[in-house]
Amino acid sequence: MQEQRAPALSVISVDGVVGLDALTARGAALLVFVSEECPTSAMALRNLGPLCRGWEAGGLTAAVVFEDPLDVALRVARRLGWTGRVLSQPPPYAASRAYGLVTVPTTVLVGPDQAIEGTVVGWDQPRLAVLIERACAILGTDGTALAAPPASEPLLKPGCSSKAAIDPEVAAAISRSAADDEMEEMYERGWTDGLPVVPPTLDRVEAMLGGADGAQSLGLVPPSMGEATLERVAACAVLAGCRPEYFPVVVAASRAVLDPAFNLHGQGVTTQPAGQLVVVNGPVRRAIGLNSGMGALGPGFRANLTIGRAVRLLATLCGGAVPGGLDRATLGQMGKIGFCVAEDEEASPWEPLHVERGFEAGQSVVTVIGSDAPLNISDHRSRSPEDLAYVLAWAAASAWSTNWWPLAEPSVFVICPEHSAMFRDAGWSKQRLREYMFTAVRRQAGELRRGETTPLVHAADPEIAISKWASPESIVLLVAGGEAGRYSAVLGPCTGMGSQIISREVESA
Amino acid sequence: MTVRIGTGDYVSPVDERVRTPEPLAPRLPDIAGRTVGLLDISKNRGEAFLDRVEFHIEAAGARTIRWTKEIFSKPAALALIDEIACRADLVVEALAD
Repeated sequence: MQEQRAPALSVISVDGVVGLDALTARGAALLVFVSEECPTSAMALRNLGPLCRGWEAGGLTAAVVFEDPLDVALRVARRLGWTGRVLSQPPPYAASRAYGLVTVPTTVLVGPDQAIEGTVVGWDQPRLAVLIERACAILGTDGTALAAPPASEPLLKPGCSSKAAIDPEVAAAISRSAADDEMEEMYERGWTDGLPVVPPTLDRVEAMLGGADGAQSLGLVPPSMGEATLERVAACAVLAGCRPEYFPVVVAASRAVLDPAFNLHGQGVTTQPAGQLVVVNGPVRRAIGLNSGMGALGPGFRANLTIGRAVRLLATLCGGAVPGGLDRATLGQMGKIGFCVAEDEEASPWEPLHVERGFEAGQSVVTVIGSDAPLNISDHRSRSPEDLAYVLAWAAASAWSTNWWPLAEPSVFVICPEHSAMFRDAGWSKQRLREYMFTAVRRQAGELRRGETTPLVHAADPEIAISKWASPESIVLLVAGGEAGRYSAVLGPCTGMGSQIISREVESA
Repeated sequence: MTVRIGTGDYVSPVDERVRTPEPLAPRLPDIAGRTVGLLDISKNRGEAFLDRVEFHIEAAGARTIRWTKEIFSKPAALALIDEIACRADLVVEALAD
């Protein structure tokens, strides 16, 4: 067989221009030329994509070369599960021309000496399997060292025209048609939590930043460790529907969830329904229209809904905790779309949460707490603070799991104004209520030994009384809600996360 | 990163940098005479699982060293990773209950 040298290559990656030397540095290279609009290209990426990491480990560098812009290439490759390198070539598609492409996909095996070792046009599973065998041979490994493409139906599928092989104006028109509807494009790119988003145009993101340096980093967002630049945080705030005046609160909440002691990593990937509750205190609540009154935990108020959503979008889009992907939540919960609560400090008989945590009353502060979904607690009949405290506390007895006592992590009680008024009238301090609740919810260890329970219960004398909480400090009390109605709520914890409550001051823009 | 969609430019919320996958460590042909690390991530009954694994590993002629992660929901401390890498030829991790 006459040896044919592989033409030089100069294509674009996220890290800059890439040539053939870089792709063959570790051994051989498998170049897969594709275009976004071609269904056969998509099929090839789906089938070959999961194999790339194993090939890379075996000395075969797999690179997909798109006849599309780099951002399109990255998005499509991610969506289709391609785990190899992602490259792009602009019009007039010099790389495709150099390799004489008529069809995409076309797969080219280039040896360590940069000779073309084989070419497969379209989707042709048997020929691709032979090509991989050839790769094994030139790399000096046995024929099974590199996984063969799966023999999934159809085994053969013709490709589409390479853009290098058609009229340049026609090629440009094909590329344009995919991006006609920007709202649909947001979904296509995965820039959503499933709800429609506001497209993050340059103007909107700039307005959100309000002159702040977009390159400033707040840190890395687990689990994928994307870097939370202020520009990306602002893009998430725009997507979520925030107004620019909400942005300092979004930034403070982002700083808080990125504190390692909060363990966003664990919360992001767990099978638990772990949400990130954002509590806002201080003057900023009124300044930006956060609702702490009627329907405080529900819909209807833009600031509440979009601030929590922006934080979640940061975790999913920048951090990679995508539901069904790295986010492994068994059921999830609606609070994972976003959950932001403002405390009604004016209706509260007690010091607000941020003051408890060491801030001045006049400071604006965001506090984040890993939490489960809220459980409503109706009590219209209690006529003493003791009865009401008992009812509230026992509502949380099944938080996390029926017999999982004690809980070390925080349970958050949102006390409605009518309930808090009863404690005010009786002269109960926050600490007195907390200690009463802590003491009220106890059961004997022997009664708790059924199904899931804690090692402490398992080891304890059956007659020993166990409290639902490890200490009164595991009970967090907030006041919010409409002035009429005796409905409070409790949000159970994430457990096993070692997650601490984190507060950050809201810095003015 | 700015991306172009149609005629408009947008700011990506995604960190588009792609990391090159780390290659797998070379696989060992057998474990006889090797040191096998057994890592309990502190999930329920991980220890019981590793007891059984240890039995089979020792039967195959390898010695074992046990380690325990501080908490299952956080990445292992770098010092622990370093110690395992220095002292063990391979590691078995008990992941979930």
